[in-house]
Amino acid sequence: MAEAFLVAEDLHKSFNDFKAVNGVSFTIGKGEIFGLLGPNGAGKTTTIRMLSTVLEPDSGEITIGGYSIRQDAEAIRGLIGVCPQDLALYEDLSALENMVFFGRMAGLNGRDARTQAMSHLKLMGLEDRARGKVAKYSGGMKRRINLAIALMGSPQLVFLDEPTVGIDPQSRNNIFETIRGLRDKGMTILYTTHYMEEADRLCDRIAIMDGGKVIRMDTPYQLKGEIGSPDKVTLEDVFLKLTGRSLRD
Amino acid sequence: MKRALYIALNEVRLYLRDKGDLSFSLLLPIVTFALIYAAFGGPMTFEGTAYVVDEDKGYYASVFLEKLDGIEGLDVELLTPAEADTKLERSDVLLVTYIPEGFSRALTSGDRTQLSFRQRGNTAQWDQVVASMVRGVAEDINQEFQVRGQVSASLLGQGVSQEHIDVAVQEFLEQEREDPVVSVREETLGGSPDFVNQYLPGIVTMYVLFAITLSARVIVEERRKGTLERLLTTRLSVGQLFLGKFFASISRGFVQTLILLVLSYIVFQIFTPLSFIECLVITLIFAAAAGALGLVIASIARGEEGATWIAVVFSVITFMLGGTFFEIAKDSAFYTISRLSINTYANDAFNTIIAKGGSLADVGPELGILAGVMVVGLLVSRLFFRVMPGGK
Repeated sequence: MAEAFLVAEDLHKSFNDFKAVNGVSFTIGKGEIFGLLGPNGAGKTTTIRMLSTVLEPDSGEITIGGYSIRQDAEAIRGLIGVCPQDLALYEDLSALENMVFFGRMAGLNGRDARTQAMSHLKLMGLEDRARGKVAKYSGGMKRRINLAIALMGSPQLVFLDEPTVGIDPQSRNNIFETIRGLRDKGMTILYTTHYMEEADRLCDRIAIMDGGKVIRMDTPYQLKGEIGSPDKVTLEDVFLKLTGRSLRD
Repeated sequence: MKRALYIALNEVRLYLRDKGDLSFSLLLPIVTFALIYAAFGGPMTFEGTAYVVDEDKGYYASVFLEKLDGIEGLDVELLTPAEADTKLERSDVLLVTYIPEGFSRALTSGDRTQLSFRQRGNTAQWDQVVASMVRGVAEDINQEFQVRGQVSASLLGQGVSQEHIDVAVQEFLEQEREDPVVSVREETLGGSPDFVNQYLPGIVTMYVLFAITLSARVIVEERRKGTLERLLTTRLSVGQLFLGKFFASISRGFVQTLILLVLSYIVFQIFTPLSFIECLVITLIFAAAAGALGLVIASIARGEEGATWIAVVFSVITFMLGGTFFEIAKDSAFYTISRLSINTYANDAFNTIIAKGGSLADVGPELGILAGVMVVGLLVSRLFFRVMPGGK
């Protein structure tokens, strides 16, 4: 593994009596795509919220890019970009306006924000619709904008929380290509998804969470190898074997 | 600070994009102003109706009714006793004048007689004016009889016929009416600023109070859209977010009020340039206090609906306690309670400037209290605010 960029050590987070995250530890290397998988309620989103400084851990330590989250949360926010699970956009604004606004919030000046916004919109195949109102975009287009906003300010680490939910294969493919392109440029990515095949294709390493804990962490190949031949077994088989088949919702 | 301003600008931009919200909030003060103008803008003349039950139906009753009907702006409507009872019972009318049976006979024979009023409760200000007019006509008739009696007594035994005396007295009185010794000259300057002065502060404070609901909703709305969480993963601090939302809510409340004040300035001419600026300063400080209270609500409310309801109920209570459209007696318990409403201080400040011709120096304590509410509101809202339960 490359030099550690994110270190999470023994994270705990409870809401009243419910332990959402219970002793989670992992490390993500610089330039790595790290998959965080788990059934609903496993604690993935809570973990991402702690890593992205929105929630404070009850205990445990997070270090990103050498900064401690307890002492240098602001510095950490300068290093990260977040693509939340639910669309977080201003639907009355255009894609460009959304991106420039979040770019300004990420510390860019007006001109740089506009330049970056246009470049990311091009990457997402949306430059022709840059000035269109987001409310009129299709679901796939909104997802791509949601991801593009996370890239404003050139973060070194991006949290992608189920970025491909409910979109067509073309949009999904565009997002995959974008993520690979980001990795090639040295960006570190934490990726969560319910699509096991996606995680298998994209992630260098995967942590499977359940009940607020990391129950297994390895490369997709090694994880598959634990229950059979990696060429015949799917990541979904591994996932179901580790987390069980009972419904969680 | 730059990011806070950018948050505020974004909020204003979203406000401008929402055509429905924009037209509603900009048209509302204009419509309100049009209503004020329709009600108080024209030359002010009294128009009322005197409800009379004529149980006499004699000569002097008809003289009385004729004189009453002759008063400018006053109509006379005759009622039967039964109609009068029903209308008073239902509060359809609040004051009825009764001409008693034998009224004319008593006057003819030189006896004393009485008109009477029956009224519902304390009646309205308008009815008190009508009552004064009725008293004036009665006084007129009274004086005519006194003059006639005095003249008759002076000329008694001098061979002047009573008929001749009556004609001479009548001519004298009519001449007096046409060319009185003391007359009143009326001069109307513009519209009727008294009413505008009285109600404008209340209307202005009402608009500023909208800021409570607006700022209570903005953060909750942002949370619902998911943009709040996203914003707080950027370099934006919670303090900057609050400041931005605070500036935005002030500007929205201020713009509506500005429209109202500018229109009042142009049409009613109730301001001097200085008093206009002073009113804008009060509006700004009041909007800041209201915006800060809105942020407190935003910090404690869980959902958009909850925030709206808390804000609306709070605004209504503040509005009622503030004595916006009615005066609160100084010695009453209600007066003490009214001191809890920020509206009270804003109304006092506006009244001092608009109605009493005071200056900002005269409303220092009121402005101090409003500024204090703003500071405390901002601190409390920051203390209670969480991006989500367990969050920062």
